[in-house]
Amino acid sequence: MLESYLPILIFIFVGISVGIVMLGMGFVLSPHRPDKEKNSTYECGFEPFENSRINFDVRYYLVAILFIIFDLEITFLFPWAVVLDDIGVFGLLAMALFLIILVVGFIYEWKKGALEWE
Amino acid sequence: MLDLLYSLTSFLPESLQTIIIILVKIAVLLIPLLLGVAYLTYAERKIIGYMQVRIGPNRVGPRGWLQPIADAVKLMFKEIVIPNFANKFLFLLAPVLSIGTALAAWAVVPFNAELVLADVNAGLLYILAMTSVGVYGVIIAGWASNSKYAMLSALRASAQIVSYEIAMGFALVGVLMASRSLNLGDIVIGQSGGIYHWYLLPLFPLFVVYFISGVAETNRAPFDVAEGESEIVAGFHVEYSGMAFSIFFLAEYANMILISMLASLMFLGGWLSPFEGIEIIQNSSLAFIGTASIGWLLAKAAFLLLLFLWFRATFPRYRYDQIMRLGWKVFIPITIVWIFVIGLMYYWQIGPWFTH
Amino acid sequence: MTEAIIFYLFSTVAVVSALMMISVRNPVRAAFYLVLSFFASAIIWLLLQAEFLAIVLVLVYVGAVMVLFLFVVMMLDLNIVEKESGFTRYFPIGIMLAAITFFSIYYVLGQKESGMDVFQSQPLSTAASHVEGYSNTKELGKLLYSEYVYAFEIAAMLLLVAIVAAISLTYRRRPKTRHQNPDLQVSARHEDRIRIVKIPVEERK
Repeated sequence: MLESYLPILIFIFVGISVGIVMLGMGFVLSPHRPDKEKNSTYECGFEPFENSRINFDVRYYLVAILFIIFDLEITFLFPWAVVLDDIGVFGLLAMALFLIILVVGFIYEWKKGALEWE
Repeated sequence: MLDLLYSLTSFLPESLQTIIIILVKIAVLLIPLLLGVAYLTYAERKIIGYMQVRIGPNRVGPRGWLQPIADAVKLMFKEIVIPNFANKFLFLLAPVLSIGTALAAWAVVPFNAELVLADVNAGLLYILAMTSVGVYGVIIAGWASNSKYAMLSALRASAQIVSYEIAMGFALVGVLMASRSLNLGDIVIGQSGGIYHWYLLPLFPLFVVYFISGVAETNRAPFDVAEGESEIVAGFHVEYSGMAFSIFFLAEYANMILISMLASLMFLGGWLSPFEGIEIIQNSSLAFIGTASIGWLLAKAAFLLLLFLWFRATFPRYRYDQIMRLGWKVFIPITIVWIFVIGLMYYWQIGPWFTH
Repeated sequence: MTEAIIFYLFSTVAVVSALMMISVRNPVRAAFYLVLSFFASAIIWLLLQAEFLAIVLVLVYVGAVMVLFLFVVMMLDLNIVEKESGFTRYFPIGIMLAAITFFSIYYVLGQKESGMDVFQSQPLSTAASHVEGYSNTKELGKLLYSEYVYAFEIAAMLLLVAIVAAISLTYRRRPKTRHQNPDLQVSARHEDRIRIVKIPVEERK
């Protein structure tokens, strides 16, 4: 099993080094003449007057939290789908209960208005 | 080919030999992929051009064939501007991360029953993991640029990618329930036996959800609020120029090809022929179109890529609240309901897909 | 051989990045070291043939949990933490937590009957080797949905509690914002919107 993961590890390194090599090539081949205007942050023609790292709507955090929860749900579904043949009707019902509990959560989310964007 | 390579490298110690052979295989995969990306940009401009009754690029080389090469050379010689107050290390790390994950996902994609770089048991899970790591490129780029447009776009893009990833994950669960294997090769083999054995039929809603989520994940039109040029200029890569910018571009197109490839592997029978098992064809001189080959896989992927371009030429951009509504309130309920439906289909052993 | 090299390489990466994560001042940097540490641990889990858990570690922790961390750290504009703020104050609690964690791990792994006695001299690579066609995901699934089904349903309840808690803690409706209701938009009919009135033609006098 491990032999089949070696190409993946090497592939990840190759993928990252493709990026690094291309960036390096860009730096080597291209001119480098910085000036104040060129290096300033893109704005509508005037100086940026505040830090761009501002506070954001808490809604974005909520999306991230809900994403984690649903992601966990999906990871529970993966091994279940793979062993459907072995676990029989009992397994089907176990997952049905699991999903129903989470659908309750989803409905709560929906009714509470957490999915609304305005 | 491989035997020759083995004999050429036989003087090396065994572990080094394996690594060199893996590297050669990776190169054999990556070079056509990058060429494919280059010509996908050309195809995009040409096809959208014709859709809008224009000609598209036609100056560089015959019929503009050399256009992508000219673009690449131009971008290579452009200055990479690093804005003031940007976090230099993270600023340069972002494009590297996005291309790294976009390429690394290709390690487990099979091209036919034998031709696969890493034949792992958990291939599908690996791809899902890689695409979820891909969001880092966007977030880091937006934050490191220290620009308001980039920041806004990074937030929008990451919330959007993350939301559609859930729908995508549920759609994948449906495929798994039909195939009972995480290995992409096994998923394709599970669909053999003619066009009606493909998972497209029982999983049709999931196919639609998967593909549209793929469009949203890659931030393509009509879901491209992250780069919407009319609102936030170019989005998270507004501060990037030259090669740094083109790496983002490459990653986006490599992801598009990956999504099309996966959709054709999981729903459209991969390298299997749609005419499989039809006797009239098998006995005629056209028998080759009835056999499985890599050509079928590429043709299916190419068709799905055409859809990507077609969407871009057809649909106006969605508003952000509409995008989030579609992801959370339409796609996720559809996929959950369909998982229950598949459960019932499995229980009653419906069709050729769920006999066990 | 190769396995040993990979193990030592990535365990070093895991330990060093964990140390960097708690020692660097910039919170964004710290988050990235944590990502690196997760990634290295995933590779070590892979070496133990736990492929499902290894990839899920990347999928859930790197792909989801750390994204949330980064969101928070980046958007809150936390500047570099002041030097050693509260270090001495929290030190005893930290030591205590570390000790509790260590001993609970020791207790679980050290039990002979649990079949996980890692303190025997048996090398890990032979302990974890499996027959051809072994699938970690399958073995896990077979146990999880039959023997441990009760724990599995409890996990569902925990996730439900997490959803409710997240919403009730962070969500508040702002009454003044305007938004569209697509249902109403779609179900609008032209009869409700315009009225065609017949006005009799008047003759000019």
